[in-house]
Amino acid sequence: MSYELITLLMFSSLMLLLLTGQRVFGAIGFVAAAAALLLWGDGASEMPFNASFIVLNWYPLLTLPLFIYMGYMLSESGIANDLYKAFHVWMGPLSGGLAIGTIGLMVVISAMNGLSVAGMAIGASIALPELLRRGYDKIMVTGVIQAGSSLGILIPPSVVLVLYAMIARQPVLQLWLAGVVPGLIMAAFFAIYIYIRCRRNPALAPTLPPEDLDVGLREKLLLLRAGIAPLAIFFAMMGLFLMGVTSLVESAAVGAAAATLTALVKRRLTGHVLDETMRKTLSITCMFMWIILAALCFGAVYDGLGAKRAISALFLETWDLTPWEILIMMMVSFVILGMFLDDTAMLVIVAPLYVPLVISLGFNPIWFGVLYVMTCQVAYITPPFGYNLFLMRAMAPPEITLVDIYRSIVPFVFIMLITIGIVMAFPQLALWLPDLYAGR
Amino acid sequence: MYHCRNCGVSRLPGAVKAYVRYVEAVNRVVGRLAMYLIFVMIGILLYSSFSRTFYNVPIVWVMEMGQFLLAAYYLLGGAYAMQIDGHVRMDLLYGRLSPRRKAFTDTITAFFLIFYLVVLLMGGISSTEYALTYGQKNYTAWGPPLAPIKIIMTVGIGLMLLQAVAIFFRDLARVRGEELE
Repeated sequence: MSYELITLLMFSSLMLLLLTGQRVFGAIGFVAAAAALLLWGDGASEMPFNASFIVLNWYPLLTLPLFIYMGYMLSESGIANDLYKAFHVWMGPLSGGLAIGTIGLMVVISAMNGLSVAGMAIGASIALPELLRRGYDKIMVTGVIQAGSSLGILIPPSVVLVLYAMIARQPVLQLWLAGVVPGLIMAAFFAIYIYIRCRRNPALAPTLPPEDLDVGLREKLLLLRAGIAPLAIFFAMMGLFLMGVTSLVESAAVGAAAATLTALVKRRLTGHVLDETMRKTLSITCMFMWIILAALCFGAVYDGLGAKRAISALFLETWDLTPWEILIMMMVSFVILGMFLDDTAMLVIVAPLYVPLVISLGFNPIWFGVLYVMTCQVAYITPPFGYNLFLMRAMAPPEITLVDIYRSIVPFVFIMLITIGIVMAFPQLALWLPDLYAGR
Repeated sequence: MYHCRNCGVSRLPGAVKAYVRYVEAVNRVVGRLAMYLIFVMIGILLYSSFSRTFYNVPIVWVMEMGQFLLAAYYLLGGAYAMQIDGHVRMDLLYGRLSPRRKAFTDTITAFFLIFYLVVLLMGGISSTEYALTYGQKNYTAWGPPLAPIKIIMTVGIGLMLLQAVAIFFRDLARVRGEELE
């Protein structure tokens, strides 16, 4: 059987199985195991289990459960309530100020956590009801929270970049630093977009009642204390890691402990909260880990077919593309695959094929990692398969319908694509900070 | 689908119900115990950084222990996560079905899930056998034997398989208009 036919068969049967609604890990695992047995017979029957040993040897993967735990703990700890209030008062007078403040809140949360779960949980439980109560447009607000929380995987710490670092064999710290400037640019674009839209159509964001804005300067300054706890958590985690006191995984554990401590100090750490946090952490970690386990087997089968060579032959010889055209093809394939496939599975299956090619074409793999994460952000919020969409649907109040959720993301997807374009055109935006740190 | 209350034709046998009840109870207990491993992970990692920073004593076993804990965490917890429907699905079409139709498609596609888990389990068993026969060890400073963690991992996969079959029976019952509690 020709290579193209096997590829077509594997991916089309995967798509078909995913469409039946069977659990994602089961669909990927079945196609991988069946393909291995069909191609190589009984000798390949250990391939699915061998994937668990690849996972076992990926030590940095420990950051995954730790960050998930930390995310839920942060949203339960009440740390965000004070922060939200501070952003509320400081940004309130602007057009669309509360929505812009929510983006600010998401940036702060992203700097404390490596996934979008924390931002979604906090956004949906604190910012969303508050914004709706004040008559903000529900579609805009829904989009703000989904897009804003997706910054969690771009602004360091980032679990997706940890996974990329393991697969592409690149230093995590460089990747994390490379995400800072693009993340802030994207957040700024979100804020500018909200400001312009609310300026042109004030009905989207009613101005606050005067008693809300009439806060003395002294009180305003006191509200800034809300930033102390996040700053402390950020320093305990990133600071100790940057100074080399703690390793990557240890710093995630420090973050998890710090979030627990914050909840304890704020007297939010009840037995119920602890139980819920542990249960959700287990559930989400298992979901990701089983998908990674299945995807690794899929990737191994695919790799065993000589996919690396075939892909570069296809791009370079058959289609005769220039390096930039290849890069754009890769990004497009990420966006399309990301609509149907879990982003960790996509990373595990596709990155080992693409990264060597990217390097051989003379592109910087760190920069490519940042571009990859930004396409993941698009994947998180675009239907039919997107984690933020799922979370939003599970958490949204009843007045927000599925159609609202789908419509809300459109402008933000455009902003993300524009940011991706800018970072593609000017790699220095991503590489400046890591280069500065490395003293180059 | 036709269902007769008195003749008992559509009812699942008592043994099947007992199986579902028993497997789910075991997996719930195992999963809820696995839940606490997150604190063990946090604990040993903090201990390791503390010991290295303040006493200048690096702990050699932390990295591997962390890896073993994570493997035990997601493999032993997987079945409980499946019980509480934690494993994500692509629900473009599936999400629009009625609960009964969902159960119906699941009884069919359960074959794919169970097939994968069986292959996974067979691999686990043969790999564990190898580790036990040859006393396989990790080639590291700590050098722990690999059999214990392989046994734990294989047991986790086995529990996942039992849970997948239990959910299959649950769905089958629902298709026949019966709810297992």
